[in-house]
Amino acid sequence: MKHHHKALELAGICKEFDGRPALAGAHFEVEWGEVHALLGENGAGKSTLMNVACGLYAPDAGTMAVNGVHSPVAGPADAARHGIGMVHQHFRLVGRFTVAENILLACGEALGVRTSAAAAELLREKSKELSLEIDPDKRIDEISVAEQQRVEVLKMLLLGARILILDEPTAVLTDQEAASVLQLLRNMAGDGCAVVLITHKLREVLGYSDRVTVMRDGQTVLASSSAEGLTREDLARSMVGASTPTPKRESKHLGDVSLKVAGLTVKRSSGGCDVEGVSFEVRGGEIYGIAGVGGNGQPQLVDALIGFSPVAEGEITIDGNTVDTGNVKAFRSNGFRFVPADRFDTGLIADFSAAENFAMTGVPDGRYGNWARVDRKRMRQHVEGAIERYQIQGCLASTKSRLLSGGNAQKLLIARELGEDMSVIVAHSPTRGLDIQAASTVHSLLLNAAAKGIACVLVSEDLEEVLALSDTVSVMSRGRLVGEFAIKDASRERIGELMLGHA
Amino acid sequence: MDTFILNWLISVPLFAAPLLIACLGVIVTARAGVLNLGVEGIMALSAAAGVVSVLQGGSLWWALAVAVLCGMLLSAVFGIATVVFKTDQVLSGLIIVAMGEGLSGVLGRGFTHRPITGFESVDFGFLHDLPWVGPIVFGQDILVYVTVLLVALTGYGVHKTFTGLRLRAVGENPSTADTAGVNVTIYRLGAVIIGGALCGFAGAYLSLSAGQVWVEHMVAGRGWIAIALAIFARWMPWRAVVGALIFGGTEAIIPRIQATGADVPVYFLMMLPYLLTLAVLIIPAITSRGSQDDTPAALLTNYLREDRH
Amino acid sequence: MLDLFYLVSRQQVPAWLRLLTFVAGLSTGLLLCTVVLVLSGVSLSDAVNEFVYFVFFNEIGLAQTFTAFVPLALVGLAAAAAIKLRFWNIGVEGQMWVGAILATWVATYDIGPPWLRLVLMFVMAAVGGSLWIAVPAVLKLRFGVNEIITTLLLTYVAFLLVQHLLFGVWRDADTGFPASPAYEPGVEQLAKLGWGNLHQGVWVALGAGVIWWWLMSMSRFGFFMDAVGANAMAAKASGLPVVATIVGAVILSGGLAGVAGLVIVAGQEYRLTQHIAVGYTFSSIVIAFIARFNPIGCLVVALIVGGVYTAGDTLKVFYQLPSATITLLESIILLSLLVAEFFGRYHIGIRRKVPA
Repeated sequence: MKHHHKALELAGICKEFDGRPALAGAHFEVEWGEVHALLGENGAGKSTLMNVACGLYAPDAGTMAVNGVHSPVAGPADAARHGIGMVHQHFRLVGRFTVAENILLACGEALGVRTSAAAAELLREKSKELSLEIDPDKRIDEISVAEQQRVEVLKMLLLGARILILDEPTAVLTDQEAASVLQLLRNMAGDGCAVVLITHKLREVLGYSDRVTVMRDGQTVLASSSAEGLTREDLARSMVGASTPTPKRESKHLGDVSLKVAGLTVKRSSGGCDVEGVSFEVRGGEIYGIAGVGGNGQPQLVDALIGFSPVAEGEITIDGNTVDTGNVKAFRSNGFRFVPADRFDTGLIADFSAAENFAMTGVPDGRYGNWARVDRKRMRQHVEGAIERYQIQGCLASTKSRLLSGGNAQKLLIARELGEDMSVIVAHSPTRGLDIQAASTVHSLLLNAAAKGIACVLVSEDLEEVLALSDTVSVMSRGRLVGEFAIKDASRERIGELMLGHA
Repeated sequence: MDTFILNWLISVPLFAAPLLIACLGVIVTARAGVLNLGVEGIMALSAAAGVVSVLQGGSLWWALAVAVLCGMLLSAVFGIATVVFKTDQVLSGLIIVAMGEGLSGVLGRGFTHRPITGFESVDFGFLHDLPWVGPIVFGQDILVYVTVLLVALTGYGVHKTFTGLRLRAVGENPSTADTAGVNVTIYRLGAVIIGGALCGFAGAYLSLSAGQVWVEHMVAGRGWIAIALAIFARWMPWRAVVGALIFGGTEAIIPRIQATGADVPVYFLMMLPYLLTLAVLIIPAITSRGSQDDTPAALLTNYLREDRH
Repeated sequence: MLDLFYLVSRQQVPAWLRLLTFVAGLSTGLLLCTVVLVLSGVSLSDAVNEFVYFVFFNEIGLAQTFTAFVPLALVGLAAAAAIKLRFWNIGVEGQMWVGAILATWVATYDIGPPWLRLVLMFVMAAVGGSLWIAVPAVLKLRFGVNEIITTLLLTYVAFLLVQHLLFGVWRDADTGFPASPAYEPGVEQLAKLGWGNLHQGVWVALGAGVIWWWLMSMSRFGFFMDAVGANAMAAKASGLPVVATIVGAVILSGGLAGVAGLVIVAGQEYRLTQHIAVGYTFSSIVIAFIARFNPIGCLVVALIVGGVYTAGDTLKVFYQLPSATITLLESIILLSLLVAEFFGRYHIGIRRKVPA
């Protein structure tokens, strides 16, 4: 099939959120029959731009053309009529519905189907055609993330999408699963579809894309360059603007075993176990990385490791002292510190000022005034010191932490957690949602802490991060630790297999 | 003893029906992700509106229509506030309770304690003469049979139709529904207003059929009991029937015991429905904690499309 | 049509905008209230006269307003204490009833020496209110049972308990009315201050407000309350005593409501009747929300609501308006204010057609 027009053209797109520009005149185009990578850091505006393309966001300015025809897209339904389909990073699936019901919900009107049985039939045909296996009668919350993604792709194709936009489709997949999805996309492009692959993984750009567009700060900095001949360094430079040094790990001497976790089991309220018989040991100065695909019990393990939730069985000891499980206070007074995945969920209080957030953990034990009077002046002084030491930008003592950028909020949190008297750091995806520079700062802070002899547990779904920082890597799958390697013996392939559960 | 039990069973639907209809209203609304705590107020307004209409010379069916319309209007106020203007659902619900009770007081000024002739039992001919079954099943007023019909319709509509699927999707995951082309605002508003109509119906039943009179505070917490019932029924219409019969049975036994002239502390007897409601909330919480949570996932959260995560 | 607009949450609402939306909401609410009153047959000039002039600028009226203020301030603080921590105490009336019952028990059976009687009544009223809220608190914290419904249902139970007593053992033998025997003047009654019916209870209300203000703004407990109210998860993960804070605030809430019951029976009615606590639950919520849980704000709003109560009493006499009218007016004002907040919280954009 020969096309004279580009599949999708966006030009001069601007979008502000509450006075903060997310897109400032971005442009983008994709041809029929290609896989076009849209590369950029977190917060560069990739997802926002594509949300504009699929009608979810209304642009403040700019034009858009589908197959050469100028057409504003008003809402997701309109996008579907234009043949545009998007798989969002957070899947748009109803967990309690079956696969067929989800298909019916999304495609019923467009395809004139009114029962889930009919939707299931359509789904079977389409999945056979693409040789994608899927059981229409399973509930979404019973199937794996990779399967859910397949449902999303099928949904898009059933709606007749020819312009396919996928937002970070491999973020939560193992290497093997990711490879199969990317191959599927290549095949779709081979059939003449236009495929947009939003990613921040350089590997995917170089391995699977025809052309690449790079965004930074809401603008297009590298437009539609052929992927061939580009190097990782080229891409990295245009993504970040300047090259960032990757934190160097110095060879170091590990101390004695400091943290001991034995037979930790966390029960699920609806029966079964989220965490089952997890045991490991961490030496002083060691970073113990736990890799794994999301949803294999990591949050529950982390909650148990900081005393946030009770455990059914098992023991946690620090330097020989058993810690009272399920008691945050006991953990904290034994020197456990916590860097959570979602800063505003279990870390900072969004509506508190930087000073209050910083001092919060010290208030109960009387570091800031007595029961009758909280010493706010002392809070301010302390946080001002921390703001300077950790170079937290755009932050005064009185700034509400909700107004801080992700990286600065994380720095504030780390400044608080890495205080005195600490012996263990539990970090859970500490760089999720951060840009490269902020992420590398966070990494250096963790490495520094380890260098001081602190035992660190790093639980992360980002395998790169685990491999870059850890001294020992272990893999979590279905609530268990299924393999442990010293970093020098760790191979990506073996870890990937374990993550998939092929033990 | 037989007469006691028979009279009791005959009167059960009279008490169960209003609870059941109101509960259906709560369920339909909740399935779209909106919890309308204003039931008590909507029922109060509709109860008053129904009786006022009759006393003004309207027919019973006209009065029922007015009551249902009042329920729709007051719930529309709630819907516009929460769905369009994103006000807190709990607080707005409490405001609707106050508003409904206030309006009923103002509207019904001068119409209290004036008995009316309400709906009478349907004539099923010989069927009514069957032992036991006759008076219990075939001796009820027309609204009881309408209630049965409404349960079936709601159950079918919510669980078996395409629109019902979309409604439930809005209550489970509004952003997914939105992406699928479902207008979340319209669905939620629609569910709130249909729910309001049902609650209005329930209120009208209290004054036009069960009480045949209007007095202030006559709803007496039944709106709240209906909400508790919806939780107990895990937001499923057919389970609500079971709950409503248990509650109706309990409520119905109070006047029967009083009628026997037995010496029982009457006010403690009147506490029974409230204590039973507490029990119904507590027992599942203790026995099956966390398992089988069927609460619509987006219940109580307002949806905003352009919200950035 | 609905697709024409889109909304963006504002990260920070500027103070002027917040003030503007508040004033706009209040004006709309007052306008709607005026319409309701006029439709009910109250002339405009009478409405202004009753609601503004008499209750705030007339000595007799102002004394009544202050008398109404006393229990309102206490229930407003009670609601603010609990709801700030997302514990919806919708059972203020129930706690008032139980407080009043226990206080009446002390008075009726002359428990304790006369000079200590009032103090004992205070203590028992607070204990009663706390006990009554302890049940929903335990159910919520231990079993996750929704407190909105439990606190509310317990109000009905408490009221039936009052009726049981008033139609039973406590029925006034002299009159046969369902009311407890009168409290003994000087021993069980709060003394009048010589301005209308205003009584010593006003010091209790003001004192509670000031103490609560100190607790909230200065004490460690107040800091915990702020943290738990803003994000209980983060507070727990930071090692703050979340459960203890909630329990403390909720018990205080019940205690304050119980005392509110007491100031009515011991300061106004001098006996337990069936009418003392009606309508206070919703008023407490109105006060707490308009004051944004600020203790001093609660006192100010309670005074204004007190004016509304006073005006309502007059209208009841001259226009036969039911007491529900007050609830209706309150609900209109609060809803208007809530809806108005929307215009501050969100930036409303109009979807621009992309030029073809």
